[in-house]
Amino acid sequence: MIELKNVTKAFKAHKALDNVDMTINKGSVYGLLGSNGAGKSTILRLLSGIYRQEGGEVLIEGKPVYDNVELKQRIFFINDETVQFTSYTLNNLKDLYKSYYPNFSEEIFEKLKTKINLPTNRKISTFSKGMKRQAIFIIALACNTDYLLLDEAFDGLDPTMRIIVRQMLVDAMIERNLTVVISSHNLKEMNDLCDTVGLLHNGKIIFSSELDNLKGDIHKLQLAFSDNTQEITREQLEETGLEILHFEKNMSVYHIIVKGDIDTVKAAFAVKKPTIFDIVPLTLEEIFIYEMEVLGYDYSDIND
Amino acid sequence: MFSIDLMSRVPIYEQIYKKIIELIINGSLKENDQIPSVRSFAKETGVNPNTVAKAYQELERNGIIYSLTGRGSFIAKLDEKMLKAFALADFDNVVKEALKKNIPPTELKERIDEIAEKEDLPK
Repeated sequence: MIELKNVTKAFKAHKALDNVDMTINKGSVYGLLGSNGAGKSTILRLLSGIYRQEGGEVLIEGKPVYDNVELKQRIFFINDETVQFTSYTLNNLKDLYKSYYPNFSEEIFEKLKTKINLPTNRKISTFSKGMKRQAIFIIALACNTDYLLLDEAFDGLDPTMRIIVRQMLVDAMIERNLTVVISSHNLKEMNDLCDTVGLLHNGKIIFSSELDNLKGDIHKLQLAFSDNTQEITREQLEETGLEILHFEKNMSVYHIIVKGDIDTVKAAFAVKKPTIFDIVPLTLEEIFIYEMEVLGYDYSDIND
Repeated sequence: MFSIDLMSRVPIYEQIYKKIIELIINGSLKENDQIPSVRSFAKETGVNPNTVAKAYQELERNGIIYSLTGRGSFIAKLDEKMLKAFALADFDNVVKEALKKNIPPTELKERIDEIAEKEDLPK
């Protein structure tokens, strides 16, 4: 289990993380969401022991990560910059990482190398961006760690390679109960990879929840009345105790994003007897946009 | 056997849950048939194994599957009433919509007979 307790991290006057509490269960795939500069990479760097927090605790299996060699041998971090050591070949790179990671598996390395089919004796500097990413994924999984931290790591991979890498992650989860923490702006990918997600904004955690619960708790409604004189307002709905994230009336059709238990929502609207009434689950992308809208991070502001 | 739509709005665990029930309703899965383990399901579809496990837990909780330690998961004794309700859930919604649009029930009933006749299905 990974725990952040009341964690604060500042860079000079800028507070990158402000009292962050977060729990990530063993064996889960946790997605870090947030706008640019929200603090996602800072969290990953704290978890990999690169940064040290100013306040609070960063714990993995109950132990502090910073300067903890034994623990760090069980964590692999793929950062958002591509591979360092570009004058190395893939085989050189393997030998280097093998000297740091005692659980390194030649077997996994060989298996993935065959699957991905990268040249092993060419310098990494001659690789394309996507090939560099593939190389580091092979190394990361062959290091056979219990924790894998991915910062925008899918960038630069083509669709086929994304599926292969995804499959490799699923295999590692099944084989050794790998825990993955991933940050990405590709919400479609996060949507089908993660089981738990957390949203960060300005260094604070807005929510952290199982993805399915999150989706079950927020709904997109479309409704209309046959009688055009009949109207509902945002205020009326809020008075009934519903949390309205978004309210919009276009011609005679209402588009409403509402938070809450689906039966409660249905009941609240049933009394109004709408002629059209559709409820659809939200995509993660929509959840992100509407939650951010509530926080005042709104793309419509750009037009002001 | 299992196709999961990763782009769909419907949560993946719900898709798995419904898929199993659908396969029971159309007769592809019968009582005591073994279903794939969480591992092989996840491997085959690329779905996060935790999500598969969650769907299986839900299926087991509702008595649709049962599991034997070390042997796997199997289709439980089928509750006809539950399956029928599931099969008719969409039907109910469509009927409600039609009634709201002022199509009289007699016309809907006639239509059912017409469909059965056209498709050569038992009335």
